[in-house]
Amino acid sequence: MPAIAAANLSKRYRRKVAVDAVSFEIAHGEIVGFLGPNGAGKTTTLRMLAGLIRPSQGHASILDVRTPGKTLAQVGTMIEEPSFYPYLSGFANLKHAALLHGGVEDSRIHEILGFVSMDNAADKKVAAYSQGMRQRLGLARALLWEPKVLLLDEPTNGLDPVGIAEIRENLIKIAEQGVTILISSHILAELEKLVDRALVIERGKLLFDGSLHKLTERVGDAVVHYHLEATEPTHLVQVLAELGYEHTSTNEQTIRVGIPRNDMATFLKTLAAKGVSVLEASREKDSLEAAYLRLLKEDGRPS
Amino acid sequence: MILRVIHAELYKAVRKKRVYVLASLMWLLVPLLSLLIAWVVNVNVSGTFVDDGVTLTDLLQVIASPAGISRNLLLLSGNLAPSFLIIVVGLLAALFIGDEKSQNMWKTILTVAPNRFAVLTGKLLAAMILLGVILWGGFLSGMLFGSIGMIFLPTTFGSGWGQLAQLYALEWAFSTSAMLFAFWLIWLFRNVALGVVGVFFLPNLLEGLYSIYAAVVGFDRVNRFNLWLEALQLQNTLRELPQYFFTTNLYAPSRFPITEIVGVIGGDVADIGGPFSNFFDISLSQAAVVMSVYGAIFALLLAIGFWRSDVQ
Repeated sequence: MPAIAAANLSKRYRRKVAVDAVSFEIAHGEIVGFLGPNGAGKTTTLRMLAGLIRPSQGHASILDVRTPGKTLAQVGTMIEEPSFYPYLSGFANLKHAALLHGGVEDSRIHEILGFVSMDNAADKKVAAYSQGMRQRLGLARALLWEPKVLLLDEPTNGLDPVGIAEIRENLIKIAEQGVTILISSHILAELEKLVDRALVIERGKLLFDGSLHKLTERVGDAVVHYHLEATEPTHLVQVLAELGYEHTSTNEQTIRVGIPRNDMATFLKTLAAKGVSVLEASREKDSLEAAYLRLLKEDGRPS
Repeated sequence: MILRVIHAELYKAVRKKRVYVLASLMWLLVPLLSLLIAWVVNVNVSGTFVDDGVTLTDLLQVIASPAGISRNLLLLSGNLAPSFLIIVVGLLAALFIGDEKSQNMWKTILTVAPNRFAVLTGKLLAAMILLGVILWGGFLSGMLFGSIGMIFLPTTFGSGWGQLAQLYALEWAFSTSAMLFAFWLIWLFRNVALGVVGVFFLPNLLEGLYSIYAAVVGFDRVNRFNLWLEALQLQNTLRELPQYFFTTNLYAPSRFPITEIVGVIGGDVADIGGPFSNFFDISLSQAAVVMSVYGAIFALLLAIGFWRSDVQ
């Protein structure tokens, strides 16, 4: 039984198709990134999962119950910029949500405010909160009733690097408790540190569903970069120039060289034949961002 | 679930200054002004007769006795333009259903509490509870301030409390239709300010347009519209339309004490012209039926609008 499922999920607004037959399943305890450019259909999909908008076709399920259903009580959401009653304090906003949901004690509200480092500002009116404080309070509200599933839409939007790091650390702690998280973000580097699997959506269609590794492998650059250390770096540079490989010296000992994907074995044999002894060769990690951009380009999106 | 929504909504509402301003207007302003006017009148014309057969004590009893102030509060709540009652209803509806739009809170509310029927019903009941507190607070504040007035004015506690309490209860019950109307309009317009202004003026505007047509053109003159009405056999219905007007029936309980006041000062309601003429023929039971029909229509419209709409 998946924690989150979308089956042929579609949403049309008159002639415009916002989400087009999107299907995926997310298992319990998984953290999945939801990637896509602005207007790709991420928020619409999240809203359908949360029962806020009705699909034109297909259906969404949370904990094996079609949304909107009773299992939404076990879901925490933060969709787009978190909104609050500005005339209420941070605590009062959480208390209001707690009363609506039921089964949440005041002690839990204080606990969760402490978790997001908002306990000192709990009695201030939300109108006086900064963007970062609102984001953290939004996360606190999503976590209030210890949800089994979290739907987060750009939770680090508008935050400074410190705020982003704090939210990421909080999410890692939550994930350790076995909470299933579907998180959309534009900041790929941040997502890379948090999720193992990604869903990529563009123009309403799901382009990719798999691990980040698979994404970078599938649509990675044609050239892979390696960092080489040789007994005689100057000789290595001469040979690379002779063979026509693009290369740069990162320091006196290490040379960065670009090699066509899957050509490493041939390359090393050639170096050995030219009398170069390679001490160490380390592969540079493929950039998720580059892979993501290539994926979108493959779909015909102008770069 | 409905109880949880009511609890949460009242928790929110009691932290909003607007509620206290409205309550203060009802509970303090009119009673204090009544006592002040009565005191000035009593000091300046003490011992003289105000009019043929009407003593100063009778007049003070109408203005500033406990029963008098409570009755006048009910009367004033429904007989100003726009009425205090519709202002309270509009502003409470804005607080309970408009805030969610203006603060972009629907996405939060409807994921925390996804049962839309419970959310809407809970919000409506919370608004009606608060309206009841404001109205009944007026009843009690009239009693309290009138009792204070008895210390320095020649007034008595007054009688007819049972009937007055019934009128307050009826006015509150009739206001359910007005609240549903306000909820629907604010939801429909997706704009709190426009919705509230619509609640204040739309019924009066429509009824005013009818009155203008009835007065200037009339239903007997031959024109395309009247021919169409005649063909549909609707002319008589249209002539009788004013007795089914929303505001006419909504304020029926608050209009009721006028008869008593006019009686005390030696007049007859039949002599009253202007906006009050013909309204006294409408019984409270007829008004109750009319308001129930309005309530059912607005509830249906609200339900259709609210149930299936997407939350953006």
